[in-house]
Amino acid sequence: MLDYTFQYGQIWPHLPRLLGGAVLSLELALLSFFGGLMLGTVGASILTFGGSAARKAVSAYVTFFTNTPQLVQIYFLYFALPDMGIILSSFTAVLLGMTLNAGAYLTEIQRAGFESRRQSEMEAAEVLGFSRGQQIRYVILPHVARVLFPPLSNQFILMTLGTSMAAVFGVEELTGQALNINSTTFRSLEIFSVTALIYIAITLMASALLAVAGSVLFRARMRIL
Amino acid sequence: MPRLVIAGLEACYGSLKVLDGIDLDVASGDVIGLIGPSGSGKSTILRSLVGLTPPTAGSVEIDGDNVDYKDAASVARLRDRLAIVFQQYNLFQNMSVLQNVMIAPTKIKKRPSAEVEEEARALLAKVGLGDKLDRYPDELSGGQQQRVAIARALALRPEILLLDEVTAALDPELVSEVLDTIRVLAREGMTMLIVSHEMGFIREVSREVVFMDAGRIVERGPPSRIFDAPTEPRTRDFVSKILRH
Repeated sequence: MLDYTFQYGQIWPHLPRLLGGAVLSLELALLSFFGGLMLGTVGASILTFGGSAARKAVSAYVTFFTNTPQLVQIYFLYFALPDMGIILSSFTAVLLGMTLNAGAYLTEIQRAGFESRRQSEMEAAEVLGFSRGQQIRYVILPHVARVLFPPLSNQFILMTLGTSMAAVFGVEELTGQALNINSTTFRSLEIFSVTALIYIAITLMASALLAVAGSVLFRARMRIL
Repeated sequence: MPRLVIAGLEACYGSLKVLDGIDLDVASGDVIGLIGPSGSGKSTILRSLVGLTPPTAGSVEIDGDNVDYKDAASVARLRDRLAIVFQQYNLFQNMSVLQNVMIAPTKIKKRPSAEVEEEARALLAKVGLGDKLDRYPDELSGGQQQRVAIARALALRPEILLLDEVTAALDPELVSEVLDTIRVLAREGMTMLIVSHEMGFIREVSREVVFMDAGRIVERGPPSRIFDAPTEPRTRDFVSKILRH
């Protein structure tokens, strides 16, 4: 038998702090996702069209960041870089770590999209005078966006949940705020159940928005002109 | 005065030599039909000319300007003057019909969008697609897509148009709408190199017909001579097989 009296009343006053934390979590997720997406586009472009030295460098980057724990990567940025004279705030260290990590995964995801490009369209673009960069921008990326929309959406959801790692470094995002409130009220069950619900609400809303965006963009087709 | 002078052109796929010394002069306003069996190198001539299968030997001159296929700037100048239309249309699937025609002049040549749009609409009307501007390629028939591809090529105002088996992928009933478009261009004096298996059409629009086999030009001449009185045995053999059915 559960001999526990739920006292949600004690944590309601703290709800604004939790929601503020949730906003910070979303901010982290969005910034690192779009930063990572840009890194991934550059990485996939290099892996597909770059010279052999550049390809090796990108491969090394991807291998490193997909084969080490994200926590260790951020620890490195936060604790090891100061020894080299580079001091980052905890938020910056987490954002940078998450962005670099996302960049590695999004390079791999986008590389698959680049490989599925239609060679015939590339040839048409080439003889119409498109440079390689213009081919990527006008022919490959719209194709990649369309083909990869579902896996990219999944990656964004995973990253949103992954932001909870920032709490380890004292960033007061959703999990961080939950820990703070827990240490003053000790209503752990209430706080973490509410926190979990907020995460669920965020990811469900994000999934719904992405689904709507996907159907609007791709029924009417991507227009990157 | 010849506009395009091709001399000793060679091209390879790996170790296979698919063009083996092609000499061809194309004057302004010429319509030249390239015929021959599959694998004879007709399409490769066109692909080599635009640099998609860069020549391994020989020279190409346009109005006295020698093309260096290893030099990107030289190839870019060449592509300002030559346009190619492919068998499979190769339209940009993520763009509407109008966008397909407008993208190269606006984004690559940086011409003003309003002026380009007016021209693009006129070109699309000319190929009979004035009512399909906002459609996407996968909503069009093959014949319609191929006419968009022709309009897209013309939007860059090329001096010479290369047509690579542009009706080969089409259902028979759609062939004539594309051929009609090409007839109009021929009447307007467009310089064209046409690779096709539509012998009746080649005979009708070409000023000169070139018969190729095994990467070489076997025989060339006015359509009436090539089709009715070829001198080379290989040509006679090909033409008789074609005309028998």
